[in-house]
Amino acid sequence: MIGLDILGFLGQGFVTAFQWHNLLFAFFGVVIGTSVGVLPGIGPMSGVALLVPITSSLTGGLLPEEAATASIIMLAGVYYGAMYGGSATSILINTPGEAASVVTTLDGYQMAKKGKAGEALAISAIGSFVAGIIALIGLIVLAKPLSEWAISFGPAEYTALIILGLATVSGLAGKSMTKALIMAVLGILISTIGVDTISGVARFTFNQPILYQGIEFLTLAVGLFAIGEVFGTILEKDSDNRSLQKINRLLPSKKEMKDSTLPILRGSVIGFFVGLLPGAGASIASFFSYSAEKGLSKDKEKFGKGAIEGVAGPEAANNAASGGSLIPMLTLGLPGSATTAIMMGALMMYNVQPGPLLFDKHPQVAWGLIASMFIGNILLLILNLPLIKVFAKVISTPPKYMLPIIIAISFFGVYAVQVNTFDLLLLVGCGVAGHFLAKNDYPLAPVILGLILGPMLENNFRRALTINNGDYMIFLQRPLSLILLIIAFVWILYPVIKGVLNQRKHAKQ
Amino acid sequence: MPSKTFDRYMSVILIAVGTFFIISSTQISASTYGSSVGPDIMPMLLGIVLILLSILLFFQTIKYKSDGQKSEEQNYGKFLIMLGLALLYALTLEWLGYIITTFIFLLAGFQIMQKGKILYSIIISLSFTLVVYYVYVEVLQGTLPVFPEWFAF
Repeated sequence: MIGLDILGFLGQGFVTAFQWHNLLFAFFGVVIGTSVGVLPGIGPMSGVALLVPITSSLTGGLLPEEAATASIIMLAGVYYGAMYGGSATSILINTPGEAASVVTTLDGYQMAKKGKAGEALAISAIGSFVAGIIALIGLIVLAKPLSEWAISFGPAEYTALIILGLATVSGLAGKSMTKALIMAVLGILISTIGVDTISGVARFTFNQPILYQGIEFLTLAVGLFAIGEVFGTILEKDSDNRSLQKINRLLPSKKEMKDSTLPILRGSVIGFFVGLLPGAGASIASFFSYSAEKGLSKDKEKFGKGAIEGVAGPEAANNAASGGSLIPMLTLGLPGSATTAIMMGALMMYNVQPGPLLFDKHPQVAWGLIASMFIGNILLLILNLPLIKVFAKVISTPPKYMLPIIIAISFFGVYAVQVNTFDLLLLVGCGVAGHFLAKNDYPLAPVILGLILGPMLENNFRRALTINNGDYMIFLQRPLSLILLIIAFVWILYPVIKGVLNQRKHAKQ
Repeated sequence: MPSKTFDRYMSVILIAVGTFFIISSTQISASTYGSSVGPDIMPMLLGIVLILLSILLFFQTIKYKSDGQKSEEQNYGKFLIMLGLALLYALTLEWLGYIITTFIFLLAGFQIMQKGKILYSIIISLSFTLVVYYVYVEVLQGTLPVFPEWFAF
């Protein structure tokens, strides 16, 4: 499958990528992406969208094909940078930069509270780097056959996959499974608010136009996590001592690196395959990885209190998913996520049509992009390890200034995307709710999980039934769907059965 | 230590929420436009699940040890003021424009958190507001209501 011709193309791709202006674009992309990702609200999607006009003016002097390559390189840099920036804020101030970073807040922020922010940030960068490389190798070697496999995923398989995704909520539970399930159900319920995409019927909108598009995930996430944490910090009297923790080490210890190796590898594989599927993306991949790591761990108690595996795995997963999601875009012309859709738009602006013929007609663009992703990954690592020191200084800002600024940044980020007052009020409301819920052991991550997966579940479920004329058996008849459902079943039941068996053991003793 | 009172109130509230969703679902059109599952099924199912889970939660609270301990001292005063300030910020942002509201919010916020060093507060509030404005609106051509509508600029 790896013919000499592919290596030849890759070589040409590297030559293209190493041209000085492309290197410069990659660097700019990564810098801008990280800055943008650090802001809660403006995530990779908005960052890429905002920069498309700028890249087009910057590359105005080049030939169309070169301009296409250059701007795609820059936008890919922005994408990666934003992913990393989002992780940084998750770890430092419990603010997920975008969906894929929500899981990182669970253990990453706890690590930061213990003074281990440096290790968390570093392992996040390292994990992302390794995952990016793995994803790229996967992309190069497996692009063709994988894209065909991805196409065979129909609505029934998606439904089963999402049910599996929801089953991972068991990994997000604190002490009470009931509370985690309640939060997940609430998340799904909230996702039903708005105009239903299949039938066009407005649900729970009470004739308020602002609710027609539903409750925006972003507002909820930033409100619950960031503002919730800010309010919590204000409420607790001894907060003045907490934030002045020093970042003691910048790099993880040898043991931490060893502990993270398997999670990173597992996360990369999980992320790559999940990212392949159009629609499923980095966020689901990170939830899967977290749940897998917790499930496979010998010491489950440490998750949620600052386990480095809980950062390494999901971070690797979300980066691998970004790489994986490029496969359907490049080989089939199917954008795997909103961000790849925007990248596709940028490509089309330059008259380069992504799709099966991309590799034939414009191999230079495709391979240039792939090669530049390698470079982007390396740049990210080089750029971000020293940035950890900068972040450390930022974090040691006294809470007097930090807290209102975090609120101001959150307001800015949410307003920039939503442009209305309702979302700002929702933001504040979620902040209050988020604090009280978190304080009473109601996990917040399942709400986000439910919010993201709810629409996908419902749409695919209904679509699958429509295609099969209401025959529910379809979920069991299609082999892939059946396999996924069985895995989901086992995933949920395993802890329950284990718990029962343990109780019997204790009773006998 | 799970709080008996809080969880009990929560379960009651959640039962109410579940009921609300169920009742509202009955008002959603059941027509399915070709799909065998209409737009009303999912919310109704979820509402039922929510109520069941909430009842389960309620019964679980019976096993809790009662709320003996007092909760730690909390800064309710500061919190409420900041909350009010944030709400004010949210409500006036579009009306008064980003620059004015953000500047006032930050200045007030810094002073409420800790009185003193007013000059620093002013400088930081001003720089933050202006940097955000400049980079976002001028460089990136983003959408922010910069000045109030009644400013005759």
